[in-house]
Amino acid sequence: MSIEVKNINKSFESKKVDQLTVLKDVNLTIDDGELVCLLGPSGCGKTTLLRLIAGLDQPTSGEIIANGEKVSGPSGDRAVIFQQYSLFPWLTVLKNVTFGLEMTTGNSKEENIALAEEYLERVGLIEFKDSYPHELSGGMKQRVAIIRSLLNHSPILLMDEPFSALDMINRHKLQEQLIEVWQRFENTIVFVTHDVDEAVFLADKIVVMGRKPGRIDKIIEVGLERPRKRESKEFILLMESIVENLDMGELDKKSLE
Amino acid sequence: MFDNYKNKFIPLILPICIIIFWYLITEGLGIVDLYKLPGPITVCQAAWILILNGKLLTNTVDTLVKVFAGLIAAAVVAIPLGILLGWYKTLEDFASLVISVLRPIPPVAWIPFSILWFGIGMFPAVFIIFMGCVFPILIYTLDGVKRTDKVLIESAQTLGAGDRDVLKRIMIPSAVPYVVSGLRVGMGIALMCTISAEMVGSGSGLGYMILTATSLFDPGTTVVGMLVIGLIGIVFDLIFTKVQKRIFW
Repeated sequence: MSIEVKNINKSFESKKVDQLTVLKDVNLTIDDGELVCLLGPSGCGKTTLLRLIAGLDQPTSGEIIANGEKVSGPSGDRAVIFQQYSLFPWLTVLKNVTFGLEMTTGNSKEENIALAEEYLERVGLIEFKDSYPHELSGGMKQRVAIIRSLLNHSPILLMDEPFSALDMINRHKLQEQLIEVWQRFENTIVFVTHDVDEAVFLADKIVVMGRKPGRIDKIIEVGLERPRKRESKEFILLMESIVENLDMGELDKKSLE
Repeated sequence: MFDNYKNKFIPLILPICIIIFWYLITEGLGIVDLYKLPGPITVCQAAWILILNGKLLTNTVDTLVKVFAGLIAAAVVAIPLGILLGWYKTLEDFASLVISVLRPIPPVAWIPFSILWFGIGMFPAVFIIFMGCVFPILIYTLDGVKRTDKVLIESAQTLGAGDRDVLKRIMIPSAVPYVVSGLRVGMGIALMCTISAEMVGSGSGLGYMILTATSLFDPGTTVVGMLVIGLIGIVFDLIFTKVQKRIFW
């Protein structure tokens, strides 16, 4: 499923200033099956853009087209994986995973459970199927959340810094698993991050965003071959060139003068 | 091991001291007249008589039946209403003023009307308990539904859940701990209301037992009634603590 973001503006009413412009004239096309990272410093509106694509918020002007239809509200076609843990605490892992299936398919209970168990087996979480979310580690919670969305066959996955709370080893492991999953299921993924390394590792296309007002500064096609190696020269060069141009750097320079 | 033993022992020290002190000032040294405050031995004798003639049991059961009838009636009305008001903001605004005015009225203030409407017996008491419990349960439920974590609602929506699914499968389960807290608060109020109600418009129950004993110069029975009410309170508190521990979200 492709996504088209057309002339999006988003502003909030604010007490300090009359209006706070979070996104200004944002245009973006995301192709079917593409993995796109929205990269930028905090306050650049990357999460807002993701929420607009999800239909959880409405733009002030402009429109978003997902698979030929205008986005007007949340839908099972566009699953969101949040930064905060979002498993339902009163449901076991297995029941969390089957939640979406029960919402969107007419499958029997047995079919749903079989499917969920198959997926949990693949990512090595089957032994936790009867555990509750509070019994899992942060990384496991996010893996379950991802499976929950994948199983639902959401053609679009919208991920809002899902790995930012994890330690580096777990983060790298989950990034690799995400790539595997994406290659198998061919979803379209929009991944919000402020971590340049993460963006270069994951993305087909990096959308570099700037702030005040939130906008798209640059779109970088990442041509690196997969699986990507962090220690390769191309990887490091690309990272450096992005870091140099990040809005964050400019602001820091100004504040120093 | 020793710590555990110590922790169980510490709460017992004060009651034992109080009983000894109580004995000394009444039956022991006779500082306080027995008709003003009965001593522990008088109370034990009264309790023994009440157990033997079955009055303690019948009156306790009678009070408990009223408490539960009132509490259940209140829960049946307040929980669905709280969910409804928590779900429809407009409906909450619509009802908010009426609730705000009725809520601070002490349940015992309904006693005159309860007698007018329901006469003497069990029903006026149940009505007063109902009036006492319905608002806390309503407010807690309403609050619980409204405080549902936004991330959980949005996750459910992006997994394809419609409004009804969000209410049924996200907001209601998420409100359960609040509902239980509301019931716990309601239980305490119910017990208080029952006793007051029985003292006015009733011919049975622990409140009635306490009041009639006093007028019959049987202060021992009065104290027995008071202690039984305290014990009932402890038991319910323990039960609710257990239930709340099982709800971990």
